[in-house]
Amino acid sequence: MSRVETETAASGKPKEADESAPGPDTNRTLVQILSSQGILIAFGLFMLGFGLFSERFLSLENMESVLRSSAIIGVMALGVTVVVISGNLDLSVGSMLSFGTVMVVDLHDKIGAAPGIAVMMAAVLALGCVNGFLVGILRLNSLIVTLGMLSAIQGLTLIYSGGKNVDIDPSSQDTTWFKVFGRGDIAGLDMPIILFGLLAVILHCIVAYTAFGRRVYAVGGNPTAAVFSGIRRGRVVFSTYVISSFCVGVAAIILGSRVMGSQNNVGQGYELLVLAGVILGGTSLLGGSGSIFETVIGVLILGFIQNGLLLLSYPYYTQWIVTWFVIILAVWLDIAGKRGRLFSPIA
Amino acid sequence: MKTILTALAASTALTGAAFADSHSDTITVGITQNNVGVDSYQTTYEQAFIEAAEGMENVEAVILDAGGDVARQIAQMQDLIQQQVDVIVIWPTNGQAVVPAVRAANQAGIPVVVTNSNIAEEGFDFIASFSGPNNIQQGAYSAELMCEALAEDGQDPSEATGQIVQISGQPGYTTAIERQGGFEDRLAEACPGVEIMETQPGDWNREKSQRVMENFLVKYDRIDGVYSGDDNMGVGALNAAKAADRVGDIAFIGATNFAVGYEAMAAGEYYGSIYQSPVDDARNALDTAVAVAKGEEVPFLNYFETPKITQENMDEFTKPVF
Repeated sequence: MSRVETETAASGKPKEADESAPGPDTNRTLVQILSSQGILIAFGLFMLGFGLFSERFLSLENMESVLRSSAIIGVMALGVTVVVISGNLDLSVGSMLSFGTVMVVDLHDKIGAAPGIAVMMAAVLALGCVNGFLVGILRLNSLIVTLGMLSAIQGLTLIYSGGKNVDIDPSSQDTTWFKVFGRGDIAGLDMPIILFGLLAVILHCIVAYTAFGRRVYAVGGNPTAAVFSGIRRGRVVFSTYVISSFCVGVAAIILGSRVMGSQNNVGQGYELLVLAGVILGGTSLLGGSGSIFETVIGVLILGFIQNGLLLLSYPYYTQWIVTWFVIILAVWLDIAGKRGRLFSPIA
Repeated sequence: MKTILTALAASTALTGAAFADSHSDTITVGITQNNVGVDSYQTTYEQAFIEAAEGMENVEAVILDAGGDVARQIAQMQDLIQQQVDVIVIWPTNGQAVVPAVRAANQAGIPVVVTNSNIAEEGFDFIASFSGPNNIQQGAYSAELMCEALAEDGQDPSEATGQIVQISGQPGYTTAIERQGGFEDRLAEACPGVEIMETQPGDWNREKSQRVMENFLVKYDRIDGVYSGDDNMGVGALNAAKAADRVGDIAFIGATNFAVGYEAMAAGEYYGSIYQSPVDDARNALDTAVAVAKGEEVPFLNYFETPKITQENMDEFTKPVF
């Protein structure tokens, strides 16, 4: 499960052939191992470390708890990974989650669970199309477009709800089938985890094994070359945003079902957590590389860091600092792997 | 450009003055709110404030909202000073950052009433009054509720024992700090046998609190009570306990009674909370502002009553709208 890279992306920088420092080969091999399997090694060390200090950490109950609470961020991160591989960003997912959750919870009592889900998914997909149109077809900068959408969608949410919190009628919370997405389980395995896993497998197959997936890598790795190879860049980018919004829709269903209510700003700040998971997994923000599988690991590391520090009774601000530290470390290892060495005088 | 700006400022000042003169017998109250629409409390507050102002004779209200943006709130303060309103009510977006703007109003001779959450202490000299809930008292009330909840049948609450966890509000937010402080101080007095094992922030977010509580449930085999900084987070904790089948063992105490908390109380799953009405909050702020504008004496900390609400007395309260 190593990183998939297009030819165009890999050949972006000339390799330095002459390395006069002693033992360049060992250094390079180490770096290569770190960069290709670094995330898994870090993950293993991490689990071992926390496992030594807290007996509960490696318990089945805790594993399930972390997986369950990572599922919402995780589902969103899957979609964002596809966008990032294509060389763009999606910062609108946080407020899109707020929008979707408010809508699906509100519509549950008004028109029923299934129609509510359908309407919400249609609305969220439409927002994805707007992103896709602006970035893919009009070729506007994705940072600006999705940052703008971040506040625009938050505004839409407030207009929709009038600022009120929405809740599913408490008397029907235990009886509605809608609860299956957030509170149900199959053979003891929680539904959010199953949905996260299922979506991860599907998207992994799409990204790694289909022509569409290869086009996404090509567009992210070298858009000019991709266009000259006959790839319709706009169409590919458009699709990545639709995929991203679909994932947000699924996350909104899980969240709404888990909490049985929603605040207008429930997804506030989630975009950064999602992006952190994607980066931590090793998907490059420059585009053209990364994988769904790595994002799953990245999201889990993020979840386990927070959980582990909490079990060891560290105050919350330690979590913020450690999370930041781990992300920087991951980015460094990623860039070092691309350069072929840990330190480099050139960028 | 400069002349245009000066001219604009001058004309604004003139119209402002003319406005104030022509209504010399009416009191103009300007309010700049924190972030209307972001939650139901603030939405209801604004509606109540407008209704209360309409219901008062000779009172006109200029309603502004900063949208959570400090810079916009400071600009709105300047606008209200320019308009020469009789009194300014401010719901601070940030207790520290708005102090210079409050000072400017004070120097312009316009009294300022702070509503809901107070500004930083260095600004106290520049405000006429603070109108809002007493969050330290609320925390203390919650501590007393916790003692009652953990006391066994016939036992005096002061002799209650147990192990509890606390889910606090957003770190750095005055309301969160004051409630936590009030709770911890009063708990140590009211029932020293109850121990707070751990405190983690839930950021006023139900989903976040649900996750925090899930971690607590894994970590501690025995939890006797949960104190949450508001009911929204409290219901998140309740959801987590429900999923783990541990509701029966745990007493849930909140603050700022939300509709969901009220309903959970009615269902017998939630022990109690603190009833804080945005309508009372808004009316108290307007009354304080009008009194200040009329030159009447008002207490510096003009609190409105936020009583305890439990499963027993909940019938005396209407279900919160938020």
